[in-house]
Amino acid sequence: MSDYKKYQCGVCGHIYDEAEGDEETGIAPGTRWEDIPDDWRCPECGVEKSEYSLMV
Amino acid sequence: MHVIIIGSGIAGVSFAEKFRSYSAGDEITLITRENDGYYSRPLLSRGFSMNDIEQSIILKTFDKLRASGININSGAEITAINRSDKTVAITGSSQEKSLHFDKLVIATGSSAFIPPPFRPYSELFYCLNSLVDLKALRKFRLGLLNQSRQPDWAIIGGGLIGCEVASDLAFSGDNVTLFHAMDRLMERQLVAEDSALLFDVLQNSGVKVLLDQNVQGFAKQENKVCVKTGVTTEFDALIVSCGFKPRTELAEQAGLEVGRGIKVNQYMQTSDEDIYALGDVAELPNGKLYAFILPIRSQAHWLAGFIAGKEKECWTPPVFTTRAKVHGFEAAHPYNV
Repeated sequence: MSDYKKYQCGVCGHIYDEAEGDEETGIAPGTRWEDIPDDWRCPECGVEKSEYSLMV
Repeated sequence: MHVIIIGSGIAGVSFAEKFRSYSAGDEITLITRENDGYYSRPLLSRGFSMNDIEQSIILKTFDKLRASGININSGAEITAINRSDKTVAITGSSQEKSLHFDKLVIATGSSAFIPPPFRPYSELFYCLNSLVDLKALRKFRLGLLNQSRQPDWAIIGGGLIGCEVASDLAFSGDNVTLFHAMDRLMERQLVAEDSALLFDVLQNSGVKVLLDQNVQGFAKQENKVCVKTGVTTEFDALIVSCGFKPRTELAEQAGLEVGRGIKVNQYMQTSDEDIYALGDVAELPNGKLYAFILPIRSQAHWLAGFIAGKEKECWTPPVFTTRAKVHGFEAAHPYNV
């Protein structure tokens, strides 16, 4: 699907790509941002999900 | 080849993990004074509003890093770098007193910068520069809360960290006064318009922001501490957040070239070609020290590739930005980093 979105951590710049998921923290490829648990943290700097914003 | 890394912050650990992934045969030893594991420094300034912070701040335990093939000497200090025989001298919990290196990576980071007028009063204030500092602050705060007292804090310094900490303490219900020497907040990173917005956000969250403050010193008065400007004001505790000071002492003693940080070329190499420096302790030829996560990780990953022979071109700084973690604040303009 081509409408996967990317979100970027405002603190460290880490990018979460819905198409790829995040293997290390157990997020399967294709997982939508809103389906990631609220207590998920940036795998690189540890800040909360709320620090991410949609990349345009 | 034996690669030794000093420091378990973002620079040291990012380098160690990347180098491990490139090079299965080489030995990697990371020596650190820390005992708590590899933790997130940005989260230190959320250390009061998050109840489980002392666990959740840990990104990886040292055992997890050991399991990935990195030797970790924790709770240990390097006392000297001997360049002539390429060894480091170690004290602390480890059995080994001296280790030989083929390549050495200094990633010791920085401590809090304490302006000279404040240095005689080091007993009277806290800093927030490490997990050990945060635990001490949380313990002190809990002591007051357990007596049903909401702490009264003074934060000295309205830069990025000072504003974040003031915000997080106020968000957690404490009384906070922020003293800043300049006429606007975070003047190094923000345009004037965003400084004004930040001022309003902090004031509305209950922080008393005082600009143009000439803090002359501190004093103890029974169980209170005082901040002396033109007037004297009492608080339960003070936090000094006036910037950072790279830990260059080891490099200096070893005779490496040192300016504000340890001087490196575009290959992150110090004046000794087998010794590198990474992160906010490294001063690039343009005089810059990179203190944010994205460029530090970039340096660390690049150096891992370079030492593994996969990278030929020198390191170039990536485009990056940052964001102050002040509750409810969103700058309208890009940060100056």
